[in-house]
Amino acid sequence: MTPVATRRRPRTAWSVGPLAVLLVVITVPALVWARAGDANAGKAVYERKCSLCHGEKGDGKGPGAERLDPRPRDFTSGLYKVRTTADKIPSDQDLFNVITHGMPGTSMPTWAVLPERDRWNLVAYVKSFAAEKFKEQPKPQELPREVSSSAESIKRGKEMYEAIECNKCHGAAGRADGPSMPELKDEWGNAIRPANLTKRWKFRGGSSRTDVAMRLAAGVLGTPMPSFIDSVEKPDDIWHLTSYVLSLGPESPNYATLVSVGAVDGAIPDDPNADFCQVIVDPRNFNPSIDLMAVRAVYNGSEIAFHLTWDDPTRSVADPGKNVFADAVSLQFPPRLQAETERPYFLMGDSGNPVYLLGWEAGKGVTEANASGPDKVTPIAGSEATGRIVFQDGQYRLVMKRPLASKDPNRPSFEPARFTPIAFHARDGGAGETGPKMSLTSWYYLRLEEPQSNRRFVVPPLVTLVTVVAMLMIVRAANRRTADN
Amino acid sequence: MRRVFGMGIAVALVAAVAAFVGVLSRATAQGGGTIEADVKYNGAPMIETIKVNKDVEQCGKEKKIGKISVGPNKGLLNAVVSVADAKGVTTAKAAKPVVLDQKGCEFHPPVLGMLPGEIEVLNSDGILHNIHTFSTANPTLNKAQPKFKKVMREKFEKPEYIRVQCDVHSWMLGWIAVMPHPYFGITDDRGVTKIENVPAGKQTIEVWHPVLGTQKKEVEVKTGQTTKVAFELKK
Ligand SMILES: [Cu+2]
Repeated sequence: MTPVATRRRPRTAWSVGPLAVLLVVITVPALVWARAGDANAGKAVYERKCSLCHGEKGDGKGPGAERLDPRPRDFTSGLYKVRTTADKIPSDQDLFNVITHGMPGTSMPTWAVLPERDRWNLVAYVKSFAAEKFKEQPKPQELPREVSSSAESIKRGKEMYEAIECNKCHGAAGRADGPSMPELKDEWGNAIRPANLTKRWKFRGGSSRTDVAMRLAAGVLGTPMPSFIDSVEKPDDIWHLTSYVLSLGPESPNYATLVSVGAVDGAIPDDPNADFCQVIVDPRNFNPSIDLMAVRAVYNGSEIAFHLTWDDPTRSVADPGKNVFADAVSLQFPPRLQAETERPYFLMGDSGNPVYLLGWEAGKGVTEANASGPDKVTPIAGSEATGRIVFQDGQYRLVMKRPLASKDPNRPSFEPARFTPIAFHARDGGAGETGPKMSLTSWYYLRLEEPQSNRRFVVPPLVTLVTVVAMLMIVRAANRRTADN
Repeated sequence: MRRVFGMGIAVALVAAVAAFVGVLSRATAQGGGTIEADVKYNGAPMIETIKVNKDVEQCGKEKKIGKISVGPNKGLLNAVVSVADAKGVTTAKAAKPVVLDQKGCEFHPPVLGMLPGEIEVLNSDGILHNIHTFSTANPTLNKAQPKFKKVMREKFEKPEYIRVQCDVHSWMLGWIAVMPHPYFGITDDRGVTKIENVPAGKQTIEVWHPVLGTQKKEVEVKTGQTTKVAFELKK
């Protein structure tokens, strides 16, 4: 419970963060000259600020490393992902920038709070863990003269994306679901996921045009991402590719805690392919397979419908022999919304205070269940819910419908204007997620808007409010709890 | 201007080396001997079968990857045999680039021997490959080679065994043996390779295989004669 509560605070801050970070990324290189730090002075700072994760010896095995995914960098290898050089080693400025801005999508925070002097000293100290590798000055990676984004540039970028087969790893729509995805390994032989190009706020090396162009040109060291500077048709294509990649998703996540349910008159459409914008959130300390979900909901006099969209690189049905499980999502509600009782424990309730789950599972369809803990799920006989799902280019779109009210005490009845607790669960079965191993949120709220009586209106799915919820991976917390029971 | 001058020097150097290697081989044709190495492996071959889930047209539906390939009579394929720490041998540079082809989503040859110098990496498949090397002495490479990039020229200047892979097709695995001198060979399906013009005298012959490791043997090389040396590698 606590890990989620504490982790939600930085995320809220994060939602205003990207713009600020971006501006800094652009301006800093012009203002700051690389300066020689003092490794000895850096050691003192390192031991206070860095060694907990990166280890006293710089080997990435600090006491805090165990819980982090991705793992902290092992400095003794001298290998760094983010660099603006044509060589194996990064420049001092590259290291300074990572220390200053952190690494999005990982546990590496920004250290802009440290005096600049300290950060340069840290650069010197961190290099000393692989002094041998840093003997020579790296050559900067040249970029062709910048071409700004335009419709033509994006179009050319798309052509190039297809010609150089970025889809092999990143997928046709950029959602990290390419056919080579399951085979990818990092330098140390560990499985590694390609970037989901629709979620640029998680790009490890930043998401400015220059950042993206530089990753394309120089590659990402220690990962399968190769250098493309010599592998495009014309040098400008690096910029066109950049334009295209940056056109694949929004600039930053829009994150909400309230799902507003619009009232509609007449039948609720259940086409999962209805188009709408995507979104949201950096789960900081964890790296769940499904890290965000877009939610829309509408209701009419008799029904309530939920439209959920989420990225999943692998479409999977259960095959336990191969450690593959069914993809699944569920919405969690307290079964009795009327009673002003305490909300059940967010992690699927407990014996005294169970939850109601409206869900979908690959191979089973839409399901209803009660749960009094992650391992105590009881399906409700005679499901009243229906739904439709589509999967395309690494994305699921699901519509689930249910009667607004139910006489069954195990099922909630929804009422307008009431704040109803809601939580979300998702499992990427292809990533071995099953049972308590899943992405989930703590409690959010759902509110059915009151219909305006003097104006009959229909809210088509395209304009209903999209709420994006952040998914947290709390496998460990969940496992621990199961073990305790 | 300086660049032109540098190029001139480089050209002159290559010519000199080529001339020198020519002289050397002519000289040793009279003065050197031949090593005939016979490398055996008694265990079972190690062949991995991989189901292909992409580029089936170019790669085929299934790939058989020989981690340890054994021919008839237990001959071990693709082992590098060389004269180690040789006395009297000369270092040399390649006169022209060697070729590593990517064809049928495999590296050809699977183990490529070369002198320090240039290599041409071909993409005969017309699909994306990425040439990703793992080395310590030479700079590591990870370069995309899309379908329209038929040839890439790279350089390996320091002797070492370099692992090569393609991340797009995870089964693609090859080795480049950058050798400090021309006295090496790669075994055929009988497990045999011949090294000619080896300077006479006591020499250490080394065999290296990516999975089975290294073995060394001392031999006496005699002018104008063939010296046989047999190895048996074990896991
Ligand atoms: Cu390949």
